[in-house]
Amino acid sequence: MAVVEAVFTPPAGRRAVLDRAHVGDVEGAFGTLSEAAVPPARGMRARLAALAAVLGPGVVIMAADNDAAGLGLLARAGEEHGTRLLWLLVALAPVVFVTQELVLRLGAVTGAGHARLIIERFGRRWGMFALGDLLALNALTLVADFVAIAFALGYFGVSHLLAAPIGAVLLLGLMATGSFRGWERMMFVLLAATVAVVPLLLLVHAEGRHAEVAAHAPASSTLVLVLALVGTTVAPWQLFVRQSNVVDKRITPRWLGYARVDTAIGTVAALLVAAGVLVACAWAFGATPHAFSDAGDVAPALRADLSPAAGAIFAVLLIDAALLGAAAVALSSSYSVGDALGFRHSLHRGPREARTFHAVYAGFIALGAAAVLVPHVPLGALVTGSQALAAILLPSATVLLLLLGNDAEIIGPWVNPAWLNALGTVVVSAMLGLSTAVVAHAVVPDVEVAVGAVTFAVLLVGGLAAVVVEHVRRPRSAMTRAERLSWTMPPLDRIAPPRRSRVRRLVLVGLRAQIVLAACALLARAVGAL
Amino acid sequence: MARTDDAPLPTPPPSDVVESIADAMFALSSTSRVNILMLLRERPCTVGELTDATGMEQSAVSHQLRVLREHRIVSVERIGRRRRYALHDEDVAVLLDAALHHVSGGRAVRRADVG
Repeated sequence: MAVVEAVFTPPAGRRAVLDRAHVGDVEGAFGTLSEAAVPPARGMRARLAALAAVLGPGVVIMAADNDAAGLGLLARAGEEHGTRLLWLLVALAPVVFVTQELVLRLGAVTGAGHARLIIERFGRRWGMFALGDLLALNALTLVADFVAIAFALGYFGVSHLLAAPIGAVLLLGLMATGSFRGWERMMFVLLAATVAVVPLLLLVHAEGRHAEVAAHAPASSTLVLVLALVGTTVAPWQLFVRQSNVVDKRITPRWLGYARVDTAIGTVAALLVAAGVLVACAWAFGATPHAFSDAGDVAPALRADLSPAAGAIFAVLLIDAALLGAAAVALSSSYSVGDALGFRHSLHRGPREARTFHAVYAGFIALGAAAVLVPHVPLGALVTGSQALAAILLPSATVLLLLLGNDAEIIGPWVNPAWLNALGTVVVSAMLGLSTAVVAHAVVPDVEVAVGAVTFAVLLVGGLAAVVVEHVRRPRSAMTRAERLSWTMPPLDRIAPPRRSRVRRLVLVGLRAQIVLAACALLARAVGAL
Repeated sequence: MARTDDAPLPTPPPSDVVESIADAMFALSSTSRVNILMLLRERPCTVGELTDATGMEQSAVSHQLRVLREHRIVSVERIGRRRRYALHDEDVAVLLDAALHHVSGGRAVRRADVG
């Protein structure tokens, strides 16, 4: 009997993952791809079938972008500024695409979650800071989503004592199947419901409201509203949940092309829904000003100003948005805890196979539901608190993301090209400029625009110089396309520690300073508010 | 040894058993975890002892021990304030012996034969 030795092709043959369930066939909502399958070389039908199987993480996670807080902000933007802030949504679309493409690439190439990569490449302190801030932010976001569910169900006369358990049961039901495909299908159902924005627009349009869009005096600083919109559009939890979801879906570099299409479709779809909500509110409230404090005020206002049908549609949209958001946020917590601490973390596993993963998810849902049952939850303070935490976390999250995208040890031939680094520098500088402007606004009013502009300019020039230096030095990759497509990160315990460089040190020290400064400024503001 | 005749094959084990076996093997699929297990095969150890013996960072050792515990390859017992880690059961020791025996081409001595 002859023993045939298997031909072993590392590293493609031995993808390093942190949970065994992360290797195997792609089991998408709309199709399956065998672990051994390769992208079809020709044929439209075969390509569409592959795309259908890959479709999911991008579309679903980005739909969750328009969560309850997002919907409230969009309604406020429409009511206060008419359709004038539409440019912001359009400008944010490429930002969302670029950050999401980067986490997608990191997930597909490394097979590890975002929290794990931060721990491995920047040390435990950065990792635990990112994880702790993420979990705190997620808890606040989840409470806000549950409060929105209670408001929206309250619109239909459901007591909030009943609304909280209804929301909790629906959200737990999403995970109960212990099957990735089951979860993704249910997320697609929630996604499909966002189409309700179309009849809302038609209703408002039929009333002839689109003719008289006038902007009202904004209830608060436009700058703060803009920053809040940026903050909900590029939220930290999206980076974590998307990367882990890509890994969990078993997307490998081979399928990156298709996954990028998924990302593009998701970006456009989320933009259309957001724009639809903003325009509907701009049209509907053009004639009469309201001062919305959150999304819960919008449906009753639509009923009073327009028709019960319009109010009902918005309430349904709000429930749907809150469910999508809560599902994604709670999932980002359980993915990240499992990933950072070494517990199994996969939607392919039921509660018995991955106890911590499901327990963290259920714990976050229970926290959200419990908060609704507490009388007089200060929703406004919650939203402000979560925005403050996001302002601290977001700059470091995006900078670390950009550094990971250039870390050749972990991402190999898939490092960021020069143009992407240049674009990333512009985006990060703009976000840091905006956030310092808001901090300045809180401490010394009237100089915020100047402070923001100076920060932006300094970071942009410094950042672009660093990008040029990096790309002049970088050796050209000699890999063929086939080698690139089969490259995956070696096991984490075998890769070399990050290359020490002056730029890297400077950036990390700068980030620490930014975190301390932002925290101090926000603390000063909180003390001042008391 | 496996039978080589043409006897009809039984149906494979249920899928949850197959999954569990694959999970157990996954726990053995990293060099740092194999290093730790080879030390635990000798005797139960604390994290400090494992850190010294492997030269890995303590946080990395703790991380891998968590993975091994979740897969029921390793168990922990508390002695006062210290935690001592040991192979979960004799089956794990047999599995490691067999692995060592297999890769050494049959030259490695099984611990069970000595003890």
